[in-house]
Amino acid sequence: MRILSLIVVMLCVPLMVLAQQTPTRKAFPYDYKQVDLPNGLRLVTVPTDYPNLVAVYIVVRTGSRNEIEPGKSGYAHFFEHLMFRGSKNFSADERDAILKRAGASSNAYTSDDRTVYHEVFSKEDLDKVMEMEADRFQNLQYTPEQYKTEAGAVRGEYDKNSASPFSKLYETLRATAFKKHTYAHTTMGFIKDIEDMPNQYQYSLDFYNRYYRPEYTTIVITGDVTPERALELTKKYWGNWKRGNYSPRIPAEPAQDAPRSAHVDWATPTLPYIAVAFRAPGFSDVKKDKAALDLLAPIAFGENSELYQRLVLKEQKVDFISPSADDQADPELFTVFARIKDPKDVDYVRDAIIATFKRYTTETVPQDKLDATRSRVRYSFALAMNSSEAIAAALAPYIALRNTPEAMNKVFAIYDQITPADIRAAAQRYFTDNNRTVVTLATKTAGSKEAGN
Amino acid sequence: MRRFLSTTLATLVIAQTMFAATTTDNNSSAKTQGREPSHMNSVLLPNRSPLVSFRLLFMTGAASDPKGKEGVAALTASMLAQGGTRTMTYEQILNAFYPMAVSFNSQVDKEMTVFSGTTHVENLTRYYELISQMLLDPGFREDDFKRLKSDAINFLKVSLREANDEELGKEYLYNIIYNNHPYAHHNVGTLSSLERLTLDDVRDFYKRNYTQSNLVIGLAGGYPSSFQPQIMADFAKLPLGEASKTKFAAPKVDEGMRVEIIKRDTRSTAVSLGFPLSVNRAHKDWPALAVVASYFGQHRSSNSYLYQRIREARGLNYGNYSYIEYFPRGMFQFEPDPNLGRQQQIFQIWIRPVTPENGHFVLRAALYEHDKLVRNGMSKEDFEATREFLTKYVNILTATQGAQLGYALDSRYYGIADFNTYMRDQLSKLTLDDVNRAIRQHLKADRMRIVMITKDAEALREALVGGKPSPIVYPPNANKPKEITDEDKIIEAYKINVKADDVVVVPVERVFQ
Repeated sequence: MRILSLIVVMLCVPLMVLAQQTPTRKAFPYDYKQVDLPNGLRLVTVPTDYPNLVAVYIVVRTGSRNEIEPGKSGYAHFFEHLMFRGSKNFSADERDAILKRAGASSNAYTSDDRTVYHEVFSKEDLDKVMEMEADRFQNLQYTPEQYKTEAGAVRGEYDKNSASPFSKLYETLRATAFKKHTYAHTTMGFIKDIEDMPNQYQYSLDFYNRYYRPEYTTIVITGDVTPERALELTKKYWGNWKRGNYSPRIPAEPAQDAPRSAHVDWATPTLPYIAVAFRAPGFSDVKKDKAALDLLAPIAFGENSELYQRLVLKEQKVDFISPSADDQADPELFTVFARIKDPKDVDYVRDAIIATFKRYTTETVPQDKLDATRSRVRYSFALAMNSSEAIAAALAPYIALRNTPEAMNKVFAIYDQITPADIRAAAQRYFTDNNRTVVTLATKTAGSKEAGN
Repeated sequence: MRRFLSTTLATLVIAQTMFAATTTDNNSSAKTQGREPSHMNSVLLPNRSPLVSFRLLFMTGAASDPKGKEGVAALTASMLAQGGTRTMTYEQILNAFYPMAVSFNSQVDKEMTVFSGTTHVENLTRYYELISQMLLDPGFREDDFKRLKSDAINFLKVSLREANDEELGKEYLYNIIYNNHPYAHHNVGTLSSLERLTLDDVRDFYKRNYTQSNLVIGLAGGYPSSFQPQIMADFAKLPLGEASKTKFAAPKVDEGMRVEIIKRDTRSTAVSLGFPLSVNRAHKDWPALAVVASYFGQHRSSNSYLYQRIREARGLNYGNYSYIEYFPRGMFQFEPDPNLGRQQQIFQIWIRPVTPENGHFVLRAALYEHDKLVRNGMSKEDFEATREFLTKYVNILTATQGAQLGYALDSRYYGIADFNTYMRDQLSKLTLDDVNRAIRQHLKADRMRIVMITKDAEALREALVGGKPSPIVYPPNANKPKEITDEDKIIEAYKINVKADDVVVVPVERVFQ
């Protein structure tokens, strides 16, 4: 087994895999049908050749980014839990029974910018699943007692995550790097807010009323299905859903005016962790900067980068290092995470990571490395797209950000145009000292200290 | 539920995008299995996919670790999959993998070691050249050995022992059930043996175990017809060897209940419990028990009895599940990895962490529910619904080409038909009586082993031994229905049948030592 598989899965360290496509081939190669209902609900249907199964992904454009009121961090995720508590025409038990008969794998997830409800099941059960899903989006029902019980499950989720130092490192990074914007808290939320959730029943009703509306929602159906059938069922069950009128005012994060740092003292034995982050642009399917940094991530910090090969393979000072640069609605962080084998090497590793960021503000990446990265991305896509569910899952982020699979094609078209000079220019713009946040975590000792810059 | 994705997690999904333009055919019709003249076995699933998946399975694993060399099987596999060859350093291999976006992974279990990877057919020649060299002409370099041995030690010492109470509890449960059995140690080894392992130990393990007779070549996808003979010829370079025929006996577990409480400074209390199970996938009662495990605790699903009683009705934690097969890394994935075939299995209940004040209660709840299951069996309605679920759910388990190949290799190991056919046939013949007989026969818990992980281990031990009622602690004004509060009263006083000697506190530093 891969020794680091657990931590890798936790970090998920996706090198924002991006792709180079030849101009004649679109990044998203499937034929799809996109239809808007008069109430603002959008349906995207992608028939595939994978037989028998259908995947339904319902994307709601709300997430922890929308948690703008003080004391309400973690609410989008908590609300995702409430959506499983039953609706007017389908109790939670009836819902479970239907999904069981459908042989379904059913779940949901919440991130900063989206909440996604997903099921994969036998195609003959599509009608019933659509009816049931429509009911919970339009007629959710739960009692104050059920609400409190679910708050206990969320608390349990925080607790199960809390054994990992990485959760705390990530939480501290967010809180240090952002002061105004809601990205300051993780999707899980601050523990004090989680502990207060049982007292916020009324707010949960407001949250539903604001965001669980057709204009915030897109249904993606992939697999053994026709667009006509998908549309017929969508009209039948979702056509009368009423539009809402709420738009959140997400606070803008002011420019950072000095490097920041934080340190977490960890109570139990651990290897030290470090996160070196720079403010980076949000998602764009028009501008070049984010695309350029996406391509730089694997080149500078991926498995065959010089830094990885030096720190992991040759010097063996870290057992894990990886970049993370998400596609987010608003400007996010470009972060490199590492776990260091010997506490005395923390400063050394920090300096090596920072020096690598700096290096690409002056050097251009070799053209052949850029080309190899594009090839990598192209094949990553081919390899990952191995089921109807994988196709729907891949579309969900683009649906959340731009509400169409075309966003994927547009971003990939930008990747095609990126030059080594574009990458250097983006690095110069974002990898400045004032944009930097460094967070370290280590076992608490008498000599624990703040990380320097 | 309902998965919480942090931002970083979310982007994994983004990375799962695609490019493959053409049709893929998962209905591979030309499935063949055969024994080749070269003594190697193969499982082949040719189809028209643009992808080619490899699963190269060696019938060896951690149960073949020589005494005192625990961990050598896993370290050998790591050296092959994450180390250089005689002619290429690992850096050079990573550089060659990079433009193809491929990887080569190893998974070591007790009796199986599998190497897997998938490539686009356009890169098949280059990819195969690299991975075949990695397996057939390993470099066994000192610097790779130092790195991978250190990774193995840190995995046990830090990642598992100090950062993941749930996986720690599950793995330690296996350790104590299989005490003094070849399955006893963690697949990665023990800390003391890993410290002593040398590169010569790895070379020796490779020589003895990586043989033609132990190899089953698994291949799926759109590879050319000339490819399979080529692989067979290449892997004939391995020594012939003799096929591993070790029979692993059932573990010797004393009757009665035993509890080990791992003392660790942690926020919550994790619980895992189970007992040896004499049924594996080859046994006639396996489909019946698969129905029971799904009904009682389908992995990561709200569609399960335990989940409903402990999480949905009481809000005690994030989830509660049951298993009849080893399922590592369950907190990170919805479907199990294939190629974890074992002669011996355990029945396991996984209770996700609760607040320490409810630790005693939740253990009682798990035992109470398990006892009810054994006494009452399943109802006709639950049996039929679960059977229907599993009949369809097998399509999800085998939705990808790689999973189909993995399950096909496992079916070969257990001597059953291809998994989907096997499940559909067996489930259609199954009756409620079969299931309830299997429950009574195999799931009675007269040898239950329990692992708990908590900060105040001594107090928990005292409470378990003392046996006083342990009322559930709800948040204020929980207003639970009478049906639940009445049952809470029964559970809080439910007898856990242990004496002082049956409950021990284990400092976390001693685990995996």
